Amino acid sequence: MSEEARPLAGAWRALRRRPDTVAAATVVLFFALMAAFPALFTSTSPRSCPIRDARLDPQGWGAAHPLGTDALGCDVLATLVHGVRPSLLLAAVVVGVSVMIGVTLGLLAGYYLGWVDYLVSRAVEVFLVVPLLLAALLVLSLFQGVDLGAGTFQVILLPAVVLILFGWMPYARYVRASTLEAKNLDYVTAARSLGASDVRIMVRHVLPNAIGTVTALLPTSVAGVISAEAVLSFLGIGVRPPATSWGIQIEQGSEWVTGGAPHILLAPLVCLVATVLALVVLGDALRDALDPRLAR
Amino acid sequence: MRVRKAGGTGPEGTGRAAAERDGRTASSRAPLLEVRDLAVEFRTAEGTVRAVDGLSYRVDAGRTLAVVGESGSGKSVSSLAVMGLLPDGARVSRGQVLLAGEDLLTLSRREHRDRCGDRVAMVFQDALAALNPVHTVGYQLTEALRARRGLSRRDAARRAVELLDLVRVPNARGRVKDHPHQFSGGMRQRVMIAIALAMDPDVLIADEPTTALDVTVQAQVLRLLAEIQAERRMGLVLITHDLGVVAGVADDVTVMYAGRVVERAPVRDTFRAPAHPYTRALLRSIPSAASGGPQGADARRPRLSVIPGRPPSPAALPAGCAFHPRCDLAGDLCRSERPPLTTALTTQPHDDASSYPRASACHFAAEVLASHDVPAAASGRPRPTGRRDARETEEPTDA
Amino acid sequence: MGRYVTRRVLQAVGTLLLVMFLLHLLTTVAIQLNGNPAQAFFGDKVASPAQLAAVEQRFGLDDPCFDRVGDPCLGPFAERLGQYARGDFGTNLRGREVSDIVAAAAPNTLRLFCVVLITWLTLGMVLGSVAARRRGSAGDHGIRLTSVLIDAFPVFVLLIVYRYVVAVPLHRWAEETFGEDSWPPYWFKPSFDPDHPWATVVVPGILLGLAGSAAFIRLVRAGQLESYQGDHVRTARSKGLAERHVVVHHVVRNSSVPVVTAVGLTFAEALGGAVITEGLMNIYGMGGVLWEAVRNDDVGLVLGIVTLLAAVTVVVMIVVDVAYAVLDPRIRYE
Repeated sequence: MSEEARPLAGAWRALRRRPDTVAAATVVLFFALMAAFPALFTSTSPRSCPIRDARLDPQGWGAAHPLGTDALGCDVLATLVHGVRPSLLLAAVVVGVSVMIGVTLGLLAGYYLGWVDYLVSRAVEVFLVVPLLLAALLVLSLFQGVDLGAGTFQVILLPAVVLILFGWMPYARYVRASTLEAKNLDYVTAARSLGASDVRIMVRHVLPNAIGTVTALLPTSVAGVISAEAVLSFLGIGVRPPATSWGIQIEQGSEWVTGGAPHILLAPLVCLVATVLALVVLGDALRDALDPRLAR
Repeated sequence: MRVRKAGGTGPEGTGRAAAERDGRTASSRAPLLEVRDLAVEFRTAEGTVRAVDGLSYRVDAGRTLAVVGESGSGKSVSSLAVMGLLPDGARVSRGQVLLAGEDLLTLSRREHRDRCGDRVAMVFQDALAALNPVHTVGYQLTEALRARRGLSRRDAARRAVELLDLVRVPNARGRVKDHPHQFSGGMRQRVMIAIALAMDPDVLIADEPTTALDVTVQAQVLRLLAEIQAERRMGLVLITHDLGVVAGVADDVTVMYAGRVVERAPVRDTFRAPAHPYTRALLRSIPSAASGGPQGADARRPRLSVIPGRPPSPAALPAGCAFHPRCDLAGDLCRSERPPLTTALTTQPHDDASSYPRASACHFAAEVLASHDVPAAASGRPRPTGRRDARETEEPTDA
Repeated sequence: MGRYVTRRVLQAVGTLLLVMFLLHLLTTVAIQLNGNPAQAFFGDKVASPAQLAAVEQRFGLDDPCFDRVGDPCLGPFAERLGQYARGDFGTNLRGREVSDIVAAAAPNTLRLFCVVLITWLTLGMVLGSVAARRRGSAGDHGIRLTSVLIDAFPVFVLLIVYRYVVAVPLHRWAEETFGEDSWPPYWFKPSFDPDHPWATVVVPGILLGLAGSAAFIRLVRAGQLESYQGDHVRTARSKGLAERHVVVHHVVRNSSVPVVTAVGLTFAEALGGAVITEGLMNIYGMGGVLWEAVRNDDVGLVLGIVTLLAAVTVVVMIVVDVAYAVLDPRIRYE
């Protein structure tokens, strides 16, 4: 356990000292809070869209429509705030499940080699050959007609399954590589010769070695899922109406940039970029802290 | 063990060559390579650290100088400074490097490397790392010849085979197209030497050329170096932490400690009677000397010993003599005042026309010397340590 | 080497078969859960059962296995493989051969990828080399910041901003400054023009390339830093070689190995990016066709194109593997 705690603790200390990472973490927390408690940020419902109020300009904080209204008269701020939850939830679920699958398979493949490794490696290869976005386009358009309901989870279920199905491979590859490396370390050999069980060796000795690389990938992966979701929603096959998301807003707003209402596009775009930027900055800092080879 | 091999294989060859060389160099000429009062500094987070301070040595054609010291003593850094290969953050703060009278340090870095590429070659320690993994050995052997001397592809190919033959890599013709990782450690080091010889240098600097090798292979590579050096009348600077290596091959020795020269002498003098406590301690820690041998029964034979403590960090050198915390002779004077390198030590009656005056940086140099002299003269028996091999290699010369 | 390539190709064929089977399974399950895709042929119109049956037959969907949930439908899969082997990749909803569509669309995608590849390599090589060369300098930090910013703007965002915000005024400005018939207005045209395929593909290509270039900048920097500190570079310098020669033959050459691998890995990602780029910029390429097909629910076309692009990815990966083996002799051909 100590092997696991030390690099992460060191990374944590290094991260806290950097103003950019603190700022980035604040941005991420801000949006996470928005996803959890949308009522804190707006009292307007995103679904009340009086068409006579369409395309109002931003009115400033405290007014009825701080960020104006969109082409249908819906409040932009309310749509924005209520659009965070599906995106972030999707990102968390996708990355969480992919990491679990990838880490498990990578660990097994690297540790046992032989036919386990063969199967995992072939699977990685097969799924890598179909680019994530292409796979998502195909599967989501295939399953477009399947009705899953309108609950928080149902709304993101399909995109989540597809993005997980075609997103677990990098973790498996990284974990497999570092398992191969760790397996031959002296203390692992020693533990094995002392009769420690395979599971114990994997969890106590091999996994901690791999955890750094995987952790460094997380923020960037979350950012990747968020922007992939935006693309899918833009195409109308991501999060489904009546739920909203930034991608849907961007799609609707893009028509009106030259039509005198650029705020409809810019508001969700700025939020998207802010979130992704914050996550990328975090990822960059983590990579430095956990992978000293690149930090030089 | 390694010393016996090294020494045992080369007594006649090196001995005779040494005798010839001594005769030649007696006619005084400007030394081939001379380093004067060299100082190298590193910029670090803690401030400027002096890694080499006041190193001087000279190498003449056909002679071998050993620069000996523990890791961190500045011996490798100084050779990089000679070659103009100091890493970022390091700079020469003082001194001269004279190649046939021309001070390389006054040249631009480009000219410096140019000059060295032509006349001074370097053999690096870890051949696997020092060779480029993605190019064939043949390419690397003749890279400089082709890029700088304009050799044609065909001439270069022929030359590459010759060079591999020269360092006795078997099946040279078949191996020029191989990559470094396809060679064994010893063969790789031979390739490294061949690369160094490609431009026909006047001086060869070998930085721990055998450290990464197996003991038996070490001996072969050392012998090869010595033979080639003798054949071509090159000057050889052999940088090593292993005094045992020195015994078989070198003519002169310069011992470094914490960036400074602590002793300088012809090899046989050093082995007979070191003039600095550090050198003495180094000699005592050579394993082959202490194990077995005819003097095994000698009650006064010093046991194989370890130098207590560790070398000081260049960032925090002790005041006075840098060696005093580890020295059994250290007195108050050593703690407060740094001993200068003094040359007034020519006590050895047999000292011949060596161009290498003895010097030691110790307040008690005379005492150290005297402590060996008496038993040495009295018993005619080999002195404290490292002796057996040193004697084997030296006796033909002495005779 | 020859045997290595052969084995690699055979392996790739196996992978491709597995990929096709995977796609087939997904389609089958979708049809079984989703109901009949033939309905899409009629859009919002209501079709008679006879019309539906005709369409089903035409698209090979009349097999009863499509009505049994959980049936892998191996028969239709074998049939489709046979068709692929004969060069028949099916038709789109309007009956146009997929292979015709691809033949018309592929050149534009190739153009786009030329621009993308050039952008990757120049940005990666130039910025990465400069950063490695001047490690720790203001330039290094600036380049690093740039690569983080590049990562923070997904292709999607870049293209939306370009197309809807920047392109129109830029296009107008170029027309006013250089005249309507000169080249610059075409560069900034917000949508593809088949009469000027190169000019209108440059900016989208650069934007797509820009999005992937951050990884290259980082890789080149890390690779060259490792090389610069490598002992073999010191050896090369000790030979008195000119610094230029050392950089080209020992630093850049050695750090090219990871860069080539990155081209392979980033390629798949860039294909996804190409769909967005071509779709948003109306480029008539493979991605643009796919984008439209998704919007039109043309599942047959989507399937055909995704299969083809997967095949292309497999080929690219073989090429990368072989290049890797050529560039790094330490790789054992096993």
